Amino acid sequence: MAADAVAATVGSLRPAEARRASAGLWSDALWRLRHDPTTLIALAVIVAMVAVAIAADLLAENFFHKGFGEQSILDNYTKPSGAQPWLWLGTDELGRSQVVRLLYGARVSLFIGSFGALTAFAIGLTMGLTAGYFRGRWDDVVVWVVTTLNSIPILYLLLIVGVLFRLQPLPFALLLGGLGWLGIANYARGQTISLREREYVLAARTVGCAPGRLMLRHLFPNILPLMIVLTMIEVGQLILQESAISFIGFGIQPPTPSWGNMLTNAAQYLGKAPYLIYPPGIAVFVTVLCLYLVGDGLRDALDPRLKSSR
Amino acid sequence: MLAGQYDVTPEDREGLRHSLGLDQPLPLQFVAWLWQIAHLDFGKSFYFNRPVLDLITERIPNSLQISMLALLITVLVGVPLGVVAALRRGRIEDHAIRVLSVVGHAIPQFWLGLIFVLTLGVQARFFPIGSMNAVGVDCGLCWDRFWHLVGPVTVISIAGIANLPRILRTEVLEVISQDYVRTARSKGLRERSVIAAHILRNALIPVVTLFGAILLVFFNGSLIIERVFNWPGLGRLTFDAAVTKDYPVVQASFLISSVLLILSYLLRDIAYAWVDPRVKVR
Repeated sequence: MAADAVAATVGSLRPAEARRASAGLWSDALWRLRHDPTTLIALAVIVAMVAVAIAADLLAENFFHKGFGEQSILDNYTKPSGAQPWLWLGTDELGRSQVVRLLYGARVSLFIGSFGALTAFAIGLTMGLTAGYFRGRWDDVVVWVVTTLNSIPILYLLLIVGVLFRLQPLPFALLLGGLGWLGIANYARGQTISLREREYVLAARTVGCAPGRLMLRHLFPNILPLMIVLTMIEVGQLILQESAISFIGFGIQPPTPSWGNMLTNAAQYLGKAPYLIYPPGIAVFVTVLCLYLVGDGLRDALDPRLKSSR
Repeated sequence: MLAGQYDVTPEDREGLRHSLGLDQPLPLQFVAWLWQIAHLDFGKSFYFNRPVLDLITERIPNSLQISMLALLITVLVGVPLGVVAALRRGRIEDHAIRVLSVVGHAIPQFWLGLIFVLTLGVQARFFPIGSMNAVGVDCGLCWDRFWHLVGPVTVISIAGIANLPRILRTEVLEVISQDYVRTARSKGLRERSVIAAHILRNALIPVVTLFGAILLVFFNGSLIIERVFNWPGLGRLTFDAAVTKDYPVVQASFLISSVLLILSYLLRDIAYAWVDPRVKVR
């Protein structure tokens, strides 16, 4: 069995890689990443999106010459055309530039995705690590919370929150992160439970290492690589959730454009302006796809053994 | 809403507060609510002025039609794809299925529904753009209903199909290297019966647990998809109630959908113990 695994690993290594001397986890991972075109392209797309989202104000003012809420009723339902930059993707029912709104939508989606995933990472890591390390009562509590949250249809809960409160992006991100940490916590807990029986943990404990330090310096670095991958994928999932809940009208409220609430309006003018449907959906799809691809690529880069069994 | 336009006397206001129990302290209100729930009394809808339980029980079968069909299609399409991906590991089929599942995960479900409605409904006029039956037709089991089901079921199944083959592939690869598969092959069984009787039967066992995740996808999906396809199910009822601020309905449907989800988890666990005799209920 073990020999099989080793053989599979060696078999999956490319010749150049077999010749290269190992230089530590992160450096090896970086090297593998540099030789993985799919992941690099996906990463480039995401970096470009982030850059464009950050520069949204600058671009809107100096290039498109339109704000995201700027209406010009006379130009409503203009079909996409290359005549002027702000008409690239056409205009909606109020004559607002679809391109500019898409830019600002990227801002909302990426902010909510990344900030929510960071929240999920922080909660999931703390809960999983402590539950796996201390076991006992605390572990029972964490497992109970995870199973309870797991049996709630999240979108229904978000709907209730959306009815009661008008959600701003920051609280919305915190809420999504506060509900989305289950997978990360499960992984951290499982890994911690198996790692805490290792000799080096025993050694650290023997020389009087306090639990906090042990978790932070000895266990955390060992589970971090795949946690990063999980968080990356979480960003994508949160972007999908945000767009869905905003689409049905209980997430980000207009006039702040988000990819989800742009589609709410577009859905009402299917016959008149079908071209409004495509860009926001494609934007969500491409972003999430690239995040998944980067997550996948990172996983392969950090732990090439997984590649052969996957 | 009308309170601003019409004069509401303080007495009326007090009377309304009293009749809804809003003059009680919050903990007491909660206990009273729990007591009602324990008697299966979910109160009356503000909007329809009908018992909430009636409204919800009317809608559940409609939602089940979509999710049961979607589950069926997920299994019918997902299981063969998973087996093919494992058997043709590393070949073009495997890569295609992997791409398919990543794409299926990344596509926003509601947007796929919108595209379906736009292209095949509004533009091609091939499929209906929503609701359960054509105008003037009222039937439960007929061609018309089936035609209306195609859109929502397709869109929801795609989410399930993105999930299933990936997991099944890992399981099949696990089972394929077992001794009993080699034994089955070496005693001269045809490849087809090795796959069906020895590999698939064992590989499917862990997949049963996956149905929990798939059902969650369906539950969340129903809220969105029923809105897109204007399907009068539980999700649509919840959405409408949320828009009209019909709190008793929103509360009850959240509670009932959670209970339904837990029930289906329970069914999943029972099914797991049933298909795998090694699992003993402690």
